[in-house]
Amino acid sequence: MKLIKDKVAKLSFVALLVTMTAAMFYTPTASAHGEKSQAAFMRMRTIHWFDLNWSKEEVAVNDTMSISGKFHVFEGWPETVDKPEVSFLNVGIPGPVFIRAGSWIGGQLVPRSVSLELGETYDFKVLLRARRPGEWHVHSMMNVQGGGPIIGPGKWVTITGSMSQFTNPLTTLTGDVIDLENYALDSILFWSGLWYAVGVAWLLYWVRRPLFIPRYLAVTSGKAASLISSGDKKVGLIFVVGTILCLGITMGTTNDKYPVTTPLQAGLMRGIKWIEIPAATVEVKVEDASYRVPGRAMQMSLVVTNNGDSPVRLGEFNTASVRFLDADVLEDESGYPDDLLAEEGLTVSDNSPLAPGETRSIEVTASDAAWEVYRLADLIYDPDSRFAGLLFFFDEDGNRQMVKVDAPLIPVFI
Amino acid sequence: MSASQSAVRSRAEAVAVSRTFDWMILFTLFTVVLGGYHIHYMLTGGDWDFWTDWKDRRLWVTVAPIVSITFPAAVQVMLWYRYRLPIGATLCVVALLLGEWINRYLNFWGWTYFPVNMVFPSNLIPGAIILDVVLLLGGSMTLTAVVGGLAWGLVFYPGNWPIIAPLHVPVEYNGMMFTLADLQGYHYVRTGTPEYIRMVEKGTLRTFGKDVAPVSAFFSGFVSIIIYFLWHFFGKWFNKTDFISGEDV
Ligand SMILES: [Cu+2]
Repeated sequence: MKLIKDKVAKLSFVALLVTMTAAMFYTPTASAHGEKSQAAFMRMRTIHWFDLNWSKEEVAVNDTMSISGKFHVFEGWPETVDKPEVSFLNVGIPGPVFIRAGSWIGGQLVPRSVSLELGETYDFKVLLRARRPGEWHVHSMMNVQGGGPIIGPGKWVTITGSMSQFTNPLTTLTGDVIDLENYALDSILFWSGLWYAVGVAWLLYWVRRPLFIPRYLAVTSGKAASLISSGDKKVGLIFVVGTILCLGITMGTTNDKYPVTTPLQAGLMRGIKWIEIPAATVEVKVEDASYRVPGRAMQMSLVVTNNGDSPVRLGEFNTASVRFLDADVLEDESGYPDDLLAEEGLTVSDNSPLAPGETRSIEVTASDAAWEVYRLADLIYDPDSRFAGLLFFFDEDGNRQMVKVDAPLIPVFI
Repeated sequence: MSASQSAVRSRAEAVAVSRTFDWMILFTLFTVVLGGYHIHYMLTGGDWDFWTDWKDRRLWVTVAPIVSITFPAAVQVMLWYRYRLPIGATLCVVALLLGEWINRYLNFWGWTYFPVNMVFPSNLIPGAIILDVVLLLGGSMTLTAVVGGLAWGLVFYPGNWPIIAPLHVPVEYNGMMFTLADLQGYHYVRTGTPEYIRMVEKGTLRTFGKDVAPVSAFFSGFVSIIIYFLWHFFGKWFNKTDFISGEDV
């Protein structure tokens, strides 16, 4: 007897464990910090984020901040990744620490997925309202169907205050003022609780009587019919009629209470406006490019021609959100995240102004620990060992030209 | 242990032991069903049940009943044919909902701070009561599958409408119309669930105009009948005692 009891007890314990596992089984993704683990070519050859601005570094609960900037959809989009025909402008934050109060591409609100064109540059803005205090890494992010998340640069933002202060007030089209943070929660709990109680009542009605062994014996000895009385059937009838009546009545009362409801809104948004950028007057040809593994530096031999009418200098090389600057030409004033900024990371063999009509061969070196830290160097192990990025040239007056580069990369191991 | 060598000494003791057994078995059954059903439902119904902005009148109404009639069908077999207990479906659903509410409160709210009014589980109780009572009154598997299965699909929407309706009130936001549920999905950022994987309002039922929920419910009911049969046989197979040796089982 004791043996069997022990066995059942053990089994119940196993069952309890199974239950706990099931309950723990699913937690919505809290962290977005896959930025370093994403394949380097994904970050270099899909979407280039630039001119990024985080409007605040510290924000109080209920206050807003924004991430804005531009992204360029790379023409040399990798074959292995689906084209951004269905994409969603997202933010990489650990769960709803902010609410997304608004997001725009080219001035158009984009709560839904959009279709993006290769080779075009878009401006975007995401407005965030602080909800949960803490220090959070806030990224721009583009989800591409069939391609996964393409994460932009992240910056630490501190939220101060208390989450209990957070409210999310809205006025519905029926004129009600609500707080979406806990709207309708009472009725959700009430109806769920009420029906749960009905279920439990039905169970209790049956399990109060001797169950398994006596009933099993009765069934096997052919007396199954005696186990269900006419009273049981009446109770069953009451439950089923009550359930159906209740459903009918609550459908009616609900429709009276909420006469105006609409279906969920969905659908792809097309025709998103990109920025019209005049064709670059600077022409760049990549002669060759190599990555020196020991020096953590990428070296490019470029032939640059200036077809414009004012002299230009190379100021920045931007790839996978890492910015290599020539400090003589360009200084960052936007408060770009330190770990992604190599203020003096760009060395150009001859960076004197390139006169209009002039062609010059230059050696450009982009070196920074970020190659390793952000695992961009892993690129040399990619199936299609190419690099890509944006070069920014500046004239005297600070006018900027953006030139894309996309070329094979040879690793140098010694 | 053979029948001649009883472990109990008196009838009263036998009754007491039998009752203890009842509770232990019931508890075990409840938790095993909870775990298995919960995992099954998360893998198959998943996002449709997690988020209000997935709870539409087409796919949610279709998918949730079809994938949830499984365990109730299987457990009904065991409890009815072995013990004449018409509680299989309700037991499953009560267990599932307990697990779901714990999960939503601990993980969705407690761990990641999604508001509970966005992540509450769907109500499956009305269908379960009907399924159990049809079995009780008819005593037939076929009748339960056909009448109960159809009802399971049909009552899902009415059973959830009072809960979900407030979230389908429209709101204007930055020049676009949303339902409050849509807005929850937009406001409360899900990094891992981009908008395009949201499967709502898709399908070929456009010709039915705005009365699409009843059509979806009927369709769901018909498929539920088939799934009921299928899982009835799973339940039967699972319930075999062939793998236990000894003649007194
Ligand atoms: Cu991060």
